[in-house]
Amino acid sequence: MNKSMNAGIGWVVGAVVLAALASLPFLGNAYFTTIAFTVLIAYILGQSWDWVAGEMGYVNLGHYCFYGIGAYAFAILLVGQWPFWLAICFAVAFTALAALLISVPLFRLHGDYFAFATLALLPLMEVLAYNLTPITNGSDGIVLPVAQVLQPAYLIALGVCVVTFMVTLRINASRFGYALKSIRNDEQVAETVGVRIAPVKRRVLVLSAAFGAVAGAVQAWQMSYIDPASVFGLNVALVPVAMVLFAGSGLRWGPLVGVLLLASLQQWLLVSVKGFQATLYGLIVLLIGRFMPGGFLRAQWVQQVPWVRSLAREHHEYMRKADPKGSTTAQARELPLSRPQNLGAAPLIELEHVRMQFGGNVAVNDVSLRIQPGEIVGLIGPNGSGKTTLFNCISRVYAPTAGRVLFAGQDLKDCSRDQIARLGVGRTYQIPRPFGDLTVLENIAIPLMFSAQPLSPHDAMREAQAFVEYAELGHRQLERADKLSVQEKKALEFARALACKPRLLLVDEVASGLTPAEVQRFVEHIRHVRDRYGVTVIWVEHIFSALEKVVDRVIALEQGTLIADGPLAEVVQNERVLSTYLGSSAPPSPKAGVQKC
Amino acid sequence: MEVLLQVLIGGVLLGGLYALVAFGLSLIYGVVRILNFAHGTLLAVSGVLASLAFSSWQMSPLLIAALLAALIFFCAYGYYHLLLRPLARRSHFEATVGTVLVTVGTLMILSDLTAVAAGATQRNIPLRLEALELGEIVVSTTQLLILLGIAVLTAVMHLILKHTWFGRAVRGVTQDPLGAEICGVQSTRLKALTFAFGSATVAIAAVLYVLSFPVDPYMGFGLTVKAFTIIVVGGVGNLPGALLAGVFLGVAEGLTGLYWKPEWAPALSVILMLLILVAYPKGVGAKS
Repeated sequence: MNKSMNAGIGWVVGAVVLAALASLPFLGNAYFTTIAFTVLIAYILGQSWDWVAGEMGYVNLGHYCFYGIGAYAFAILLVGQWPFWLAICFAVAFTALAALLISVPLFRLHGDYFAFATLALLPLMEVLAYNLTPITNGSDGIVLPVAQVLQPAYLIALGVCVVTFMVTLRINASRFGYALKSIRNDEQVAETVGVRIAPVKRRVLVLSAAFGAVAGAVQAWQMSYIDPASVFGLNVALVPVAMVLFAGSGLRWGPLVGVLLLASLQQWLLVSVKGFQATLYGLIVLLIGRFMPGGFLRAQWVQQVPWVRSLAREHHEYMRKADPKGSTTAQARELPLSRPQNLGAAPLIELEHVRMQFGGNVAVNDVSLRIQPGEIVGLIGPNGSGKTTLFNCISRVYAPTAGRVLFAGQDLKDCSRDQIARLGVGRTYQIPRPFGDLTVLENIAIPLMFSAQPLSPHDAMREAQAFVEYAELGHRQLERADKLSVQEKKALEFARALACKPRLLLVDEVASGLTPAEVQRFVEHIRHVRDRYGVTVIWVEHIFSALEKVVDRVIALEQGTLIADGPLAEVVQNERVLSTYLGSSAPPSPKAGVQKC
Repeated sequence: MEVLLQVLIGGVLLGGLYALVAFGLSLIYGVVRILNFAHGTLLAVSGVLASLAFSSWQMSPLLIAALLAALIFFCAYGYYHLLLRPLARRSHFEATVGTVLVTVGTLMILSDLTAVAAGATQRNIPLRLEALELGEIVVSTTQLLILLGIAVLTAVMHLILKHTWFGRAVRGVTQDPLGAEICGVQSTRLKALTFAFGSATVAIAAVLYVLSFPVDPYMGFGLTVKAFTIIVVGGVGNLPGALLAGVFLGVAEGLTGLYWKPEWAPALSVILMLLILVAYPKGVGAKS
């Protein structure tokens, strides 16, 4: 009740502020209108940059290029007597196309290399603008055939700002937004839970470029003159970026607050300081980088200030709490997974002469095996024997050098990682890799949003609750995953793999380092998902006492080669397993629960 | 033919200087793992300072180089501790954007202050020695001296990297920071030293640069882009690779100017870098 009232007040305040802003150009003060106009443009630029950086974690330092391309395309068309709206639409489309093209090489890069390559686009564009004189008029710049358009330009910019903000809200409440957030945390894991990352990355860059282009076109229209230095110059290009980072990248209100504060400061400096402009910009940029690259809204003291505090909320704090019904403890062991009636007799997963080679190092050597639906298979072997590599060959984290992997009769050769996840392969990682800055609930909801029957974020959150209860993480479901203990992270990984609705579950040393009681819980979980939902399991583990309770058979690897395959009691008597793995001359009894020394 | 040869010699010279700049940046990137966007600007500023020192006091270029190197070594040492080191404690995203903003801010400040103090004009050291005539070809002695300077500097750096404690530590940290730390390398001190050392090499490169090419306060970022291209081609921490890549780029730029238009030369390195990064996303020298 209180919440909806707050939301109501929010809408009213928003409407009043908007109305006030919209009436600003009619009050007759052109100076204030111009300042407000530059703030609006900076917000469009900063927020559209933050879709790529704050949401997806890619630091695009060349975002200003899109502003410049949009401005140039628009100016050239307007000079060519095109009507205004057609020119602006075409400029945006052209920029979006350019972004699409440039995204192909750019997204082969990560981290520092991505940041640098995007920054290098600025001087490239500047050289193009200077040298393609017949088109761009070179260093003379382009004079647009307009005069006194401040009022309409301001209103358009205000409209675009509102749209930008709405798009931000929409992104954060959509599957697309969660795809971005999963990419930000861990691209490989995002793929292995079913997110198709390549189109998502492309789309967000194109979207951000389109909004950058609108900003460029509208500002070129208002200023009625552009030249290469003013749209591609290094010292102007990073100002919107610094503004967003100043308040808090990735926060709902961060870009807006940062732009308002810094753009005001910038205007004040422009008026009151003569000379050393670039030094001052540089100093501001430097100080923000040094002292608050995470944004001042994320600082401790902000939480103490009543009004400011509400501006500092992360996006997920706005997510409506999922419906608590349907997750009572009595039903906690019930998962929303289908129960297959007939598992069939054909093998679920079949490896034919799979070989994985890194340079001269053969990690998996000619391994062939078949696993029937509903089996629980233990995979054992000394460290470095290729167990995890075999998992990586199945989930396509690595493409095997030779051999075939068949899942339910389908060759996985041409499948991408996300397709394999949607076919029904879920996996955990030996060292837990949760999406650290998302909540436990969101971690589990993401595979549900990108499974073969995708759910909306709202439904996914509700369904994720059953998995959270199953993993006994109910009391921590709204906490960030990187705040969990190691055991809790392992439980979360297991639950997230189950949320992929797998037919085959690859479990990688989920029990190592846990107490006997915790190990026992995992054993029960594994048995339960097999017995109740027919999930086939391959479990890499060194703890024989745990394997013994649940596996139908074990497979032993040594230096990438399969050396034994059969019931656990037989395999532990196998001479090669004894000499290379268990390392004991006396044959150990499986009943005694031998652990690896 | 003569023009072509002159262009080739000029290209090799310029490329060697690019390689020196790149090598400082590459050392820093290998050890400190930050991209110093102000690296090329340091050359521009040092070049302007060197030219001023020469025209005001007629100091010998050798002395200028030694003084500048010492000055920049200490400034860079302090700069690292004051502005960059604290960022290493932050999350990955914050550390990345933080160093970008700090170094780009430095770039803007350095360029602007230099332009205000010394003017935004092009400067050099007008030291002209008698030219050497080898048959048809005229080789300037200055150019030969610069080539010698490049060769000596490269050799010294090679020796330092191969045979000193500092060099071994640098190579160790470049390959595996954690492993080197476990073996007793004090990484914070080494990072500051490397940052200072890499920056100081730029000061010497700057003096060589102004002896035959003009500098201005705003040329720095273009150089940084070139240096990065060279690192990508030659591999991080790879001295011969950087030298080869630098000469290749220098000659390619010279030929672009000769056969097409000189104003397109700056675009060459960016396009080359993008193409290379597409073919080898982790750099040509990197082991997959």
